[in-house]
Amino acid sequence: MKLVPDTNADKRIDPATKRLVRSGVETVLNPFDEYAIEAGLQLKEKLNDGSTVTIVSMAPESGKEIVRKALAMGADNAVMLSDQALAGSDVWGTAYALAAAIRKGGFDLVLTGTQSTDANTGDLPGALAEYLGVPGLTYARKIEVADGRVRVQRETETGYQTLSAPLPALASITKSAAEPRYPSLKGIMGAKKKEIALLRVADLELTKPVGGDGAKVELLELAAPPVRGKGQVVTAADAVDGAKRIIDFLKERKLL
Amino acid sequence: MKNVIAFIEHKNGQARRVSLEAASAARTVADLLGGTAHAVIVGGDAAAVAAQLAAYPLDAIHVLADATTDKLIDPAVDALSVVAGAAGPSLILVGNTMIGRDVGSRFAARVDAGLNADVTEIRVDAGRVACVSPKLGGLSITTCAFKSDYGVAAIRPNVFAAKPGAGQAEIVAIAPLGKTYASVVEDEVEEVAPELGVEEASVVVSGGRGMGGPEPFKTILKDLADALGGAVGASRAAVDAGWISHGHQVGQTGKTVSPQLYIAVGISGAIQHKVGMRTSQTIVAINKDGGVPIGEFADLLVVGDAFAIVPELAKQVRDAKAVHA
Ligand SMILES: Cc1cc2nc3c(=O)[nH]c(=O)nc-3n(C[C@H](O)[C@H](O)[C@H](O)COP(=O)(O)OP(=O)(O)OC[C@H]3O[C@@H](n4cnc5c(N)ncnc54)[C@H](O)[C@@H]3O)c2cc1C
Ligand SMILES: Nc1ncnc2c1ncn2[C@@H]1O[C@H](COP(=O)(O)O)[C@@H](O)[C@H]1O
Repeated sequence: MKLVPDTNADKRIDPATKRLVRSGVETVLNPFDEYAIEAGLQLKEKLNDGSTVTIVSMAPESGKEIVRKALAMGADNAVMLSDQALAGSDVWGTAYALAAAIRKGGFDLVLTGTQSTDANTGDLPGALAEYLGVPGLTYARKIEVADGRVRVQRETETGYQTLSAPLPALASITKSAAEPRYPSLKGIMGAKKKEIALLRVADLELTKPVGGDGAKVELLELAAPPVRGKGQVVTAADAVDGAKRIIDFLKERKLL
Repeated sequence: MKNVIAFIEHKNGQARRVSLEAASAARTVADLLGGTAHAVIVGGDAAAVAAQLAAYPLDAIHVLADATTDKLIDPAVDALSVVAGAAGPSLILVGNTMIGRDVGSRFAARVDAGLNADVTEIRVDAGRVACVSPKLGGLSITTCAFKSDYGVAAIRPNVFAAKPGAGQAEIVAIAPLGKTYASVVEDEVEEVAPELGVEEASVVVSGGRGMGGPEPFKTILKDLADALGGAVGASRAAVDAGWISHGHQVGQTGKTVSPQLYIAVGISGAIQHKVGMRTSQTIVAINKDGGVPIGEFADLLVVGDAFAIVPELAKQVRDAKAVHA
């Protein structure tokens, strides 16, 4: 799971560092990842075979309390990959480092969200699957595990496919999969005792440079979008008048 | 990075529009780099799709015509790797779509390539490729250059022009991959009739909570969209109410659209909706309240009852088009 700036906050980019200004903006759990956590918990409950759910997040240590919220939902433990050396990572570096952290812990199934509200690339699940060397079943709106295979309903633009693959595998979970639960009081109390292990880059035996130095893309320029000013506001006298004003406007803009 | 390779998505023997845009952009960027432009097509229908791509000015169209690869991501990544390996350091263009992102991101990880998502412009400066993308819901516009040998750019649909032109592309067969894949597609179900998606449409007519129920999405909004040759979109309020499916939702948790014309009907213009449509070229809103937030960024806000104006507008659009015809 990823930690992101609150979606309702007024976000700003610092022109000097070219990074998102995080001070004064509350950090929250990427809303899309709650569906993945919920799906993981439901699988664990259904399997009821001693399977465990581990939260993995690459984020600064200061995000610990947000990770704890996922533990309060019912996850068993958590690993945070936190290192100053990871600052400035791009999608490539994030996937590369996260894959190493996940491999270190061992896994049968990796679940992710489909996108993050800040980077919003939706590219991490595919890249992660590739680095882990496992099948990637993306955009799953339904997921089940049986007999060593994972089976999903993978959303398409016009419906869905039923796709299955042997474990270990990765699946990204869509919003329609499951409504995330609220942590119970017992869950919140229990989460205080659960372990959040910290991993550093040095623990990962990486062979390629990560962070800003290792990034495969370089930010050249950061600009504000062209402002969309207030346009005309007209009150329609009646339906014919309202429609005509739009037609005239579209003609003026050569859209008709 | 000299050559440019477009990955072509297709369905029912037809290339997706964003893939035709990618093929056209491949030509433009390859010319700026002094390299060659390629397309890669994988699947049972690949030969038919290649015939369609032949109308585009590419240097080579690489075809893996193998029905067993249909609907799978892995063989597409393998085929792309074969072509890219032969082309040498190159730029790969995919659509910023569900399939494009999967293929692009897996390929990028395989060859340690940089990735740029949701690209709206590609620049070449002294032989270096840089991609322009809106970030944080259009809050800032970034320009990123690649530092890697290979690069992947996922282009936003409907931004680059699809430009057919004298095609002389050589059709090259990709040798059978001879692999079996762990993922199995057991079946595929179509739940809705295929229609032009909001991301690819040049006109989007969206409805919000003001529509009051599911009917207007199928009647007056659909009719206006049809008259304009566009697609029907929606706000989250309409989608959450179950009036229209999530695939139509525009905004932060839905699709990002950049049509030539966006018409927001009965939508107030919340920030989460705005970030999904603010890059539309022209925005027109119809709302019975003149003080709504969308009035602050729409090019034209007509204050009035949508149920009266929309059908009349559809009629006047048809009349106006009839005059031109
Ligand atoms: C994390 C998060 C993510 C979100 N993601 C999205 C997203 O992706 N997309 C999105 O759209 N929203 C999203 N939202 C919701 C967003 O905040 C708004 O609640 C939503 O956009 C409101 O939809 P609306 O404009 O249709 O409804 P309202 O705000 O209720 O507006 C309805 C409008 O209809 C007008 N109206 C009513 N009757 C008529 C009539 N007869 N004729 C003309 N006008 C009429 C009213 O004047 C009003 O302005 C998100 C919210 C959150 C918190
Ligand atoms: N730093 C991170 N740590 C853990 N998971 C992440 C991180 N970044 C992205 N993800 C996962 O990848 C998904 C897609 O993110 P993105 O590619 O950034 O849009 C998210 O929903 C998360 O599940």
